[in-house]
Amino acid sequence: MAVRIGMMSFAHMHAYSYAHCVKQLEAEGRAQLVGVADDDPQRGQQVAQQYGTRFYESYEALLDAGIDAVIVCPENVKHRPLTEMAAKAGKHVLCEKPLATSKADGRAMIEVCKANGVQLMTAFPCRFSPSYIRLKQMVEAGELGEVLAIRGTNRGRNPGGWFIVPELSGGGAVIDHTVHVTDLCRDLLKSEVVEVYAEIGNGFCHGDFDDTGMLTLTFANDVFATLDSSWSRPKVFPTWGDVTLQVVGTKGLVYMDMFAQNSTLYDDRNMRITLEHWGSSIDYGLVSAFVESVASGKPVPITGEDGLAAAEVAFAAYESAKRGEPVRLPLPE
Amino acid sequence: MLRVGIAGVGTMGRTHASAYAKLPNTRLIGFYDSVTEAAQRVASQFGVQAFPSYEAMLEQVDMVDICTPTPTHLELVLKAASAGKHILCEKPLGRTLPQCEQMIEAASKAGVTLMPAQVLRFFPEFKQARDLVLAGAVGKPAAIRTRRGGPYPRAANDWYADFEQSGGPILDMVIHDFDWLRWTFGEVERVFAKALTFKKLDHIDYALITLRLKSGAIAHVEANWADPSGFKVDFEIAGDAGMIAFDSRFAMPLMVAKQNAGGGGGGVAVPESPLAEDPYMLEIKHFVDSVEAGQQPSITAVDGMKAVEIALAAIESARTGRVIRLGGGA
Repeated sequence: MAVRIGMMSFAHMHAYSYAHCVKQLEAEGRAQLVGVADDDPQRGQQVAQQYGTRFYESYEALLDAGIDAVIVCPENVKHRPLTEMAAKAGKHVLCEKPLATSKADGRAMIEVCKANGVQLMTAFPCRFSPSYIRLKQMVEAGELGEVLAIRGTNRGRNPGGWFIVPELSGGGAVIDHTVHVTDLCRDLLKSEVVEVYAEIGNGFCHGDFDDTGMLTLTFANDVFATLDSSWSRPKVFPTWGDVTLQVVGTKGLVYMDMFAQNSTLYDDRNMRITLEHWGSSIDYGLVSAFVESVASGKPVPITGEDGLAAAEVAFAAYESAKRGEPVRLPLPE
Repeated sequence: MLRVGIAGVGTMGRTHASAYAKLPNTRLIGFYDSVTEAAQRVASQFGVQAFPSYEAMLEQVDMVDICTPTPTHLELVLKAASAGKHILCEKPLGRTLPQCEQMIEAASKAGVTLMPAQVLRFFPEFKQARDLVLAGAVGKPAAIRTRRGGPYPRAANDWYADFEQSGGPILDMVIHDFDWLRWTFGEVERVFAKALTFKKLDHIDYALITLRLKSGAIAHVEANWADPSGFKVDFEIAGDAGMIAFDSRFAMPLMVAKQNAGGGGGGVAVPESPLAEDPYMLEIKHFVDSVEAGQQPSITAVDGMKAVEIALAAIESARTGRVIRLGGGA
């Protein structure tokens, strides 16, 4: 029985990739892209046409169209209202990261889904990277001994648009790029972040939003990690950015450059050198896992709690930079 | 012609000795080492004298090159200064700030040149990166990352493993990067660091250090004595108009792979990056030429102390969990 999916907003560009994945699952008979709704009707209509699905004039109409689940990809601050609408309509939710822009919003999203008996999954596709899965196997098999320290990066470029309007995004680079690597560390260590220190800056774009973040995380099990969440890739950089993780253990070290599976394209017509990725699609793994959970009723592999825990590290980073000292977690509710 | 005596016959003492042998305006007179037999062995390799005492060596030279473990620098520098000898001293200049201050004062009072061997300034990739930054090639620098390290270092008496002597990888190794960061981007405002140093693990140490510079730029420094796969260095300077990136793994013009006896696999590819001008040679040449010309070298003893100050701040942060704000600045 194919899971019937609606997509709420394409404000976040990841929505396009998720839609593509749903279409792939549709071809496999596991899902069906029933329709899309968007605050921006022009964008919604165009997307509906692109993916051969129906455009609904309102989110309510989409939720009323006999769907089982939604994928929610609006501006960050709208994650809560759209998730609340979907949950109250009895739809399971896959929500784009960061789960929320405040702890209260994240908590409310978790609660409303629980109260309405629907699942809430946070979109952390990096968990489905074959390289990460292999790394995690090595750690779990004890090949590195006891994990001691992690050095991570998730760097990119300023995406512009609503991403640099803090009223819509909840910040800048730090809220955008902290959560993926934080989630991988939590998943790998099975331990929570208890302290965050952050140096935050705006030295790339000089705007009234942050574009540079250098975070230091301490976990309950005493492992420390740093995370570079900066939008530091130049305009001519040959790819969008990176996700890297170096895990140091008592018996060895593993370095992962998640998106290193590329060939180099030297393109005279566009005067560009680009890295052409040929590694596996991590978004497919994400959407497939969500669809499987909805179909089978088994728990989603990445919960709302996971999403909130990672987002809380970003909130703490902003607080740390403001205070100029490390901040203890959990933050007050 | 400057007559040179080298204290310490470890890796660095021997590296420096080879450089003096190639310079036209120096003559290597001999070595002193607290282990006399070691001094004799190395001295005979270079065809020079092994001195029974440091004092005996000082009597016959114009300059000393101190390549001994860090805590011995103070005494050796003070003796050389009071004997009126010029001093090239390995990094870190001292184990503590008061030690550095004493050395600087003694050298200044004696009117001798004291240069800390912050050799990174003579490594072409680091020198070039600085030149590019100063020429505005990346615009205003915003985020800088460096990493340095490899296997845990082994030396006489395993002294690197004694934190009280070596200060671990933060003081002993990434002091190179701290000096280069200061030289290239200016003074450091505050430091936050995490390290394995105080866990007292068996020959594993690792630290991640975040620096906020007075310019507003943010720097991240990795100090790695936990990577068994070999020594590596990289850096990345990202600014508001571009980025410079270097990775030693990909800057190796030679890759040598030899068949195991009898053929078959198992051989490890060994990379090499030969240079016409060895950075250690350039460093020593700069020191010697400065002394001969009666000029202050471009690396001052105060630079050496400032690098130690940043390293000690990082160690203090790692030990206490607090942010350490640096004092007076320039």
